[in-house]
Amino acid sequence: MAGATQIKPDLQFIKRIVAAGGDTAKKCYQCDTCNVVCNLTPDEKPFPRKEMLMAQWGLKDVLKDPDIWLCHQCSDCTVHCPRGAKPGEILGVLRQMCIEKYAFPSILAKMVGDIKFLPVLIAFPVVLFLVWLYGLGLLGITKGLAIPEGPIVFSKLFPTVWGIDAIFVPAFFFAVGVLGLGVLQFWKDLNEANPWKVKLHGNLVGNLVAVLKDILMHNRFRECETTFGRALNHLLLVFGFIFLLLTTTWAFLREWVFHMDSPFSLLLPPDPLKWVALLGTGLLLFGIYRIYLARQENAEKAGYGTYFDWQLIYLIAAVGITGVLSWFFRLLGSATLAYPTYFVHLVMVFCLFFYAPYTKIAHLVYRTTAMLYARMADRGF
Amino acid sequence: MAMEERKYACYLCKGCGIGEVLNFADLAKVATREAKLGLVKEHDCMCSPEALEMIRQDVAEGVNCVLIAACSPRVKFEEFDFPGCIVERLGLRELVAWTQDPENKETQALAEDYLRMYGAKIKKTNLPEPYKFEEELSKTILVIGGGAAGLSAALFAARNNYPVVLVEKEAELGGYGAKLHRATPTSYPYTQMQESPVFAKIKEVQAEANIQVYTNTTVVKTAGQPGFLDVTLNTNGSEETIRAGAVVLAAGWKPYDAAKLADKFGYGASPDIITSLQMEEMAKQGKIVRPSDGKVPESVAFVLCAGQRDPEHLPYCSDICCASSLKQALYVRQANPNATAMVLYRDIRTPGQLELFYKEVQTDPGVMLTKADVTKVAPAPGGKLKVAAKDTLLGDNIELEADLVVLATGMVPATTDEPVLNLEYRQGPGLPDLELFTGFADSNFICFPYETRRTAIYAAGGVRQAMGMAMAMDDGVGAALKAIQAVEHIAVGMAVHPRAWDETFPDPIMQRCTSCKRCTEECPFGAIEEDEKGTPFYKIARCRRCGTCMGACPERIVNFADYSVDIVGSMLKSLEVPTEDDLEDDEEEVPLRILGLVCENDAYPALDAAALNKLKFSPMIRFLPLRCMGSFNLVWVSDAFSRGVDGMLLLGCKYGDDYQCHFAKGSELCNYRLSKLSETLDKLGLEADRVQQVQIAISEFDKLPKIIDDFVARVQEIGPNPFKGM
Repeated sequence: MAGATQIKPDLQFIKRIVAAGGDTAKKCYQCDTCNVVCNLTPDEKPFPRKEMLMAQWGLKDVLKDPDIWLCHQCSDCTVHCPRGAKPGEILGVLRQMCIEKYAFPSILAKMVGDIKFLPVLIAFPVVLFLVWLYGLGLLGITKGLAIPEGPIVFSKLFPTVWGIDAIFVPAFFFAVGVLGLGVLQFWKDLNEANPWKVKLHGNLVGNLVAVLKDILMHNRFRECETTFGRALNHLLLVFGFIFLLLTTTWAFLREWVFHMDSPFSLLLPPDPLKWVALLGTGLLLFGIYRIYLARQENAEKAGYGTYFDWQLIYLIAAVGITGVLSWFFRLLGSATLAYPTYFVHLVMVFCLFFYAPYTKIAHLVYRTTAMLYARMADRGF
Repeated sequence: MAMEERKYACYLCKGCGIGEVLNFADLAKVATREAKLGLVKEHDCMCSPEALEMIRQDVAEGVNCVLIAACSPRVKFEEFDFPGCIVERLGLRELVAWTQDPENKETQALAEDYLRMYGAKIKKTNLPEPYKFEEELSKTILVIGGGAAGLSAALFAARNNYPVVLVEKEAELGGYGAKLHRATPTSYPYTQMQESPVFAKIKEVQAEANIQVYTNTTVVKTAGQPGFLDVTLNTNGSEETIRAGAVVLAAGWKPYDAAKLADKFGYGASPDIITSLQMEEMAKQGKIVRPSDGKVPESVAFVLCAGQRDPEHLPYCSDICCASSLKQALYVRQANPNATAMVLYRDIRTPGQLELFYKEVQTDPGVMLTKADVTKVAPAPGGKLKVAAKDTLLGDNIELEADLVVLATGMVPATTDEPVLNLEYRQGPGLPDLELFTGFADSNFICFPYETRRTAIYAAGGVRQAMGMAMAMDDGVGAALKAIQAVEHIAVGMAVHPRAWDETFPDPIMQRCTSCKRCTEECPFGAIEEDEKGTPFYKIARCRRCGTCMGACPERIVNFADYSVDIVGSMLKSLEVPTEDDLEDDEEEVPLRILGLVCENDAYPALDAAALNKLKFSPMIRFLPLRCMGSFNLVWVSDAFSRGVDGMLLLGCKYGDDYQCHFAKGSELCNYRLSKLSETLDKLGLEADRVQQVQIAISEFDKLPKIIDDFVARVQEIGPNPFKGM
């Protein structure tokens, strides 16, 4: 038959979805309640119903469907689903599969998504740093693995250039590279023949700016009913990250361009950099704390969330808490507490950066891309 | 009861609003002087213990014909029960008090006419004396068919101490239920496949002393009448005749011929396109493989509604195939954990508790479902099969590949091709009107499933309606209950459904019979046969007492103890029909007199319902209940019009393919007779429109006032009966 869509179910894909926490996908019986209840879906070819069907049939093309990213997991659909199929959760799992698909190498992506490999993933930076520090000691740049004596200055253990920059700059570029490759392939797939393909039009940059504005204002989150709290919580978290990014960039510029060395003072005189850092940390911690609480509260109604979801929450929390504790212990003057805590902090930050293309935090590029596509395809905003 | 022994009494009730609408002094005058009912009493509440005691006192003192002029005969029948007396009930409450305007003087005239009518009736009614059969009645239940329904019916009857003869045409009991590998669940929690329940039932039947089992046996002939059935059985060539009282027809079904699905579903184009029965056989043997090369399939497509719900094949749904296909999807998955089972449905139907099974099967990762209108199944390269469908959830036009395609074909009842019962009835060896039900031995009575147009023969299971085993087993019990009721009633000379209280029977005056055999042809139940000389005679046990024969007979020879042409004729002729001489000064028109002959099954209850809702009727019309419109005899038309009546409205149940007539054909026959009548009326100078039949259902009671008003208007238009006053 001409123009017929070929249907090729993939049983392994279904099993993968089930293993990643999407076991309720099969319960859907296509009643359309989720489509009707969703406030974020466009009216034409809405989501999440068709994605549920594609998940049930093991049709991997669903990973090329931008609608899975238009979803913000309000969980209104999960709350109203008469069969307990939890479409919100299922789409979350599909997003995980999508990240897995576009991240290179896929073996690393699969490891990040599987709790079995968590010790290995944490062990990697731990071992890396220990070896690095030892090496620094051998080379005489630092005292190696010993707790440094005297006033607590973290660069005694982790020198700014040979410690921090040498590890984190490559890690950062690695992450950006993998994410970039992934997004380009994603964009290519989005524009390919697709049952829901719509013609794109408009200025790419102009639309991207509009999408970013929408994201920063958290307009999508405001449409949610079940998880309306996130409009604020996620906003706090995002701005926390923005301020911390600002801090890091500013510090980097001070180091490499303006040749100003740390330490920078907090109070006398007040250094704006330190205050922006504090603000960022505060927002991040407050945001992630509220997110944690809200998830617990909503667990019964909206689903608890998968390993993939909680992995990121705990990672961000760990980054924030260890960061604050390091500062705290430093102010307290306890070297035995401060340096190890700082070590852990750096491990956590490394995980956040290096594994960014594979963890849930990759959503910040994929969702933005999908929203850009949807905007240029006139899908609702 | 002979005329001389009769002592009449009329009891006028003033309760429920009757007292406010009528003049009781005038009523009493009519009752005594015109209706000649010796004793007339009134009471404010005739159903109260005091009033009933009063009546009982009168009965003790010799009254034996009691006319209760109070509420409808359909209520308070336990109160107005006086053993040994003739009791007539006149529903003044519904027919007058609740439906008439108290200010209209015609209302009083209406009530008085009713008293005259019922006064005439009570003079001629007799107490029924149940028919006594000469020989001993058999209470053996014959069950034809040893599948789920038949086994269930046999066990139920046997455990209630009725001897059972179970006849099965195959060598083994169990029917299609025994051919299954596994069955869909028939018990809590309804989520798991189970062993087919027939196996346990077969063991129970074999252990039951009251059940005599014949296998490899068919029914050659069913002669006689209910209670006295002589059934000839053929087992492998040798014949034997047994005696039975009633029959449960549980002959089951066979699968639709898949060869007819070659065009659309490709059956026959590839050995890997099979029917669900073929799939079940493979599963039972433990090897689900592709018939072409013996390989285990990796992908199986199930096409539901194959050749069903389709005007070119079977127009109906076979009820169990959705659940059965889901079950087979599980077979495929359990045999090969890497296989996918794709279910393509038009709808998923899960009768009974099977929704729970559907939810369970859905959770299997390898079972996937989509709504789809399958347009083609054909072989594809590589030894595979291609299934094309449109209007699916996955897209407007899809194609998928499968290693094996299973077509869920439908169930065709056993009665489609053969009469099975081989009845010795002049009207034919099978059940009549099977084409109304696409070959199924079904009836139009949702409240009375299992009923057929052959008395004491009750259909159950797949032969009655496409159904699964859970429902078939319940059906068997239902039909067995009806069969038991039939033998018990016939044993005491009582009728069965719908007049399951009636102890009268048709008693024809054979001297005047001309053997025209109109009764024989028209009886909906084939209760009348003809002897060697061609003279009709009754097989009373088959009779449902509808009176269609009474209506058909041109010589009017058929009578029942409390229902005859003469009784109704007397009621019609007892009306007071005012003429021009009766007009008062200020009146211009003679009030019309219209008769309403109303069947007791749907039409009279509709009247009661309308009255309960205080709808108003024209005071011109006098209602008279009939057992069935089939008992309408044309002589009543001349009786009524010669009396001066202006019109006759016949209210009966719906007839036609979707009939609701409780005696299947009565209402239709009345309509047919009326068509013969119009010529005669025209010759007499009476307009055909003066007699009309209207179909009414009990739920349409709200339409009654308009129906009546329209008819009255038409008669007014035509003008009064020219023979009035002659």
